[in-house]
Amino acid sequence: MTHPGFEAQLDAYLDGELAAADARALEAHLIQCRECARFRDGRLELRAAISARVPAFQAPDVLRQRVRAALTTAARTRAPSRLSLRATWRPLALAASLAVVALGSWNLALQRAAGEALADDVLASHVRSLMPGHLTDVLSSDQHTVKPWFNGRLDYSPPVYDFAGRGYPLLGGRLDYVDGRTVAALTYGRRQHLINVFLWPATRGPRTAPRSRDRQGYHLLHWTTPDYTYWVVSDLGLAELRDFTLLVQGADSAAATAPTR
Amino acid sequence: MEASEQARFEAAVLPHLDAAYTLARYLTRNAHDAEDVVQDACLRALKYFDGFRGEGETSARAWLLAIVRNTAYSRQGRRRVDALATEFDETQHSDAVADEHPEGVLLQEDAKETLGRALDRLAPEFREVIVLRELEGLSYKEISEVAGVPVGTVMSRLSRARTRLQEALRKEEGG
Repeated sequence: MTHPGFEAQLDAYLDGELAAADARALEAHLIQCRECARFRDGRLELRAAISARVPAFQAPDVLRQRVRAALTTAARTRAPSRLSLRATWRPLALAASLAVVALGSWNLALQRAAGEALADDVLASHVRSLMPGHLTDVLSSDQHTVKPWFNGRLDYSPPVYDFAGRGYPLLGGRLDYVDGRTVAALTYGRRQHLINVFLWPATRGPRTAPRSRDRQGYHLLHWTTPDYTYWVVSDLGLAELRDFTLLVQGADSAAATAPTR
Repeated sequence: MEASEQARFEAAVLPHLDAAYTLARYLTRNAHDAEDVVQDACLRALKYFDGFRGEGETSARAWLLAIVRNTAYSRQGRRRVDALATEFDETQHSDAVADEHPEGVLLQEDAKETLGRALDRLAPEFREVIVLRELEGLSYKEISEVAGVPVGTVMSRLSRARTRLQEALRKEEGG
């Protein structure tokens, strides 16, 4: 056995990741301590064995060609949708609104434009969450762990449900930023797919039924209850995402009628 | 996407295709799946390219490898959740460094376990740190970004994975 804590330090030293002062202290120790020196030798042996026998691969030419072809196709088909997402979107939306004003539907157009901008925002948050390490701040399939985690982090206490029994297990929760405010985001799984649920207190207006949008291969569903504004995003098929939405709505109305909540 | 933008993307990403393929090979342990993962990852990378531009600190290599890793895990949905659970509380999962597939029977039949096989049998979160460090030459900081865990976790995972591989090496030489 080597000295506790020294193994990781020794590895960091051998990897050239130890601060200079620590490295000097470690070198001094290695001169005196035979066991730690032996440990180091073992690591050096392993390193040699890995570099001799565990190969790095070359991407096959076929793959290189496939990737290039796929990128070219994707870049071509993406061109219009990117335009709408980029800076050019606003003037375009304005132009569209002005055109509609002429037809006398000013309000409707504005609401729709706001909804589309919000959908972009929600989708961007979803995509960001798929980057490693961004999915959950609190990782738990237990709703009684996830719900209290939000206490003190938000000015509302979002309802948290687990649908593991129905094939949509709760994976965790996190704080996210949508529409200029901090919101609760809950993550659920469905086979290899991830579902993000964004919710924040509803401000005004009547309750609305779920409405779907498609963006870049993702489905978005949006609805409002008397209490909350909901957005659900996933690359899951729309039919299953609707099923999931029904579960959330069902749990919400059950909670609303339960006397304790 | 404008032609110049696509050229910029290809210049940033295509030089790292070998690195991407190597990581995918070790995560999927299968040449065919690895190709699919890399192609998928490149398309995802194209989508997120705007987001990458903002983070000047991250190297294009580490950025692409992070996407490859994520793509590989989301194809193997269940394992992704396992990996996340390990991040959540490593002390409760101290066995995680052990074999992902404890195929004791197989081992006894073939005592000559190679180093490569020992690596393949590590749980993915330990396998990936070895590949990222030893084969891809990433810094601890970069590995922490790719794997989405703190540098301290990278250090402890590397250490434990190496100790495990050394045991395999010793067995190999002894047997």
